[in-house]
Amino acid sequence: MKTDTLIELLARSAGPAPRAVALRRLAPAAGLGFVVSALLALTLIGPIPESMYGTPVPWIKLAYAGALAAAAGWLAARLARPISRLAAPRALVLSVLIAMALLGLVAWLSASRADRMTALLGSSWLSCPWNVLALSLPGLGAALWAVRGLAPTRPRAAGFAAGMFAGALGALGYALACQEGSAAFVAVWYTLGIGLTGGLGALLGPRVLRW
Amino acid sequence: MSHADPCAIGGKQNQRLGAFEAPACNRNACPDEMAADAVHDDFESGLKPLWMRAQAGDSAAYAQALHRIAQRLRGYFRRRMHSLPDDVEDLVQETLLALHLQRGTYDPTLPVSAWVLAIARHKLVDLWRRRGRRDDLHDALDEVDETMLAAAPGDGSAQRDLARLLSTLPEAQRQAILLTKVEGLSVAEASSRTGASESAIKVQVHRGLKRLALLVKMEGAS
Repeated sequence: MKTDTLIELLARSAGPAPRAVALRRLAPAAGLGFVVSALLALTLIGPIPESMYGTPVPWIKLAYAGALAAAAGWLAARLARPISRLAAPRALVLSVLIAMALLGLVAWLSASRADRMTALLGSSWLSCPWNVLALSLPGLGAALWAVRGLAPTRPRAAGFAAGMFAGALGALGYALACQEGSAAFVAVWYTLGIGLTGGLGALLGPRVLRW
Repeated sequence: MSHADPCAIGGKQNQRLGAFEAPACNRNACPDEMAADAVHDDFESGLKPLWMRAQAGDSAAYAQALHRIAQRLRGYFRRRMHSLPDDVEDLVQETLLALHLQRGTYDPTLPVSAWVLAIARHKLVDLWRRRGRRDDLHDALDEVDETMLAAAPGDGSAQRDLARLLSTLPEAQRQAILLTKVEGLSVAEASSRTGASESAIKVQVHRGLKRLALLVKMEGAS
């Protein structure tokens, strides 16, 4: 076929370009990632006692994971385009991470010396990052699928952003089942779990984000 | 650790955009680049209004824009594929198809030519990887010059026959593409002709084109 024929074929009744393509693909991935993670966490680990919702404990986790999911989702949406400006979403992701790190540091310093170890390690520091990673896997699949359907030209970075996005969504679900009370715990082990998911995304990116 | 990766990537991207927007060298020292830069400016300023109209649904402007882009792509690929001259036109068509399928990812605040170049570069890297030609890949990417999308003539014939590929699509997708793209019916007309709903027609056209892009790619790999 001649290229001119192909062009006529594409142009004829092409209609307006689709809008908000990244949002339309990432939003369902976010919904799926969160719902599956929440369902798995609630059924496999069990919900936290209802009285805890009267304290800031679960809300800090939910706010952190939610803010990070939004920021990383924005970054992933930008990286899903062939060219894009990355400064603003990148700064937002960093701000969320730094804000949580500061909050964790303050909580850790304000604990008495004897309690610091418990504040940092809780009773589940060994399992928390792996739980977050495991709960994030369905969301990671959905997020990579969403980005793959767009046009990422930097697959490793796009995979990393999709992984952070999925990791934050997994953590959002895990927060409904995690009984740890210290912000220091969240700042370290949640972040590590989300980072592991990001790393997995970066590993998978060059392999699966082909188009 | 978590943020170092995207930072580095962003820097690379800026450099890439910069190479396309502004000449990196002294104008007196390299007249060729200067001329090419002027050509590039013409290209972007001529393409942008057409492209914006095309994005809004003007198919005549879209066809015109794609013709201009095809000409530039031909030059771009030809200069980077000395060892594979027969594949140039195939890659031009593959890139045009990708541009069409992904035109929703164009951000109107950025230059169209940079967006086109990013996709063309991606397709070229993809081709080298499929062919396992790593040396050529380095040659093609290390050289950052402003002549990247300089025009080149060509009769526009591809080795691969898209019409034949079209015949391998599932019936519903082929029919939807033939009716709306080749016969030029509107989606509503195609819908009443086939009895399928309008959204079904749109979905079939989109899936068909996607599948076509995949077929084109697989043929290129074999």
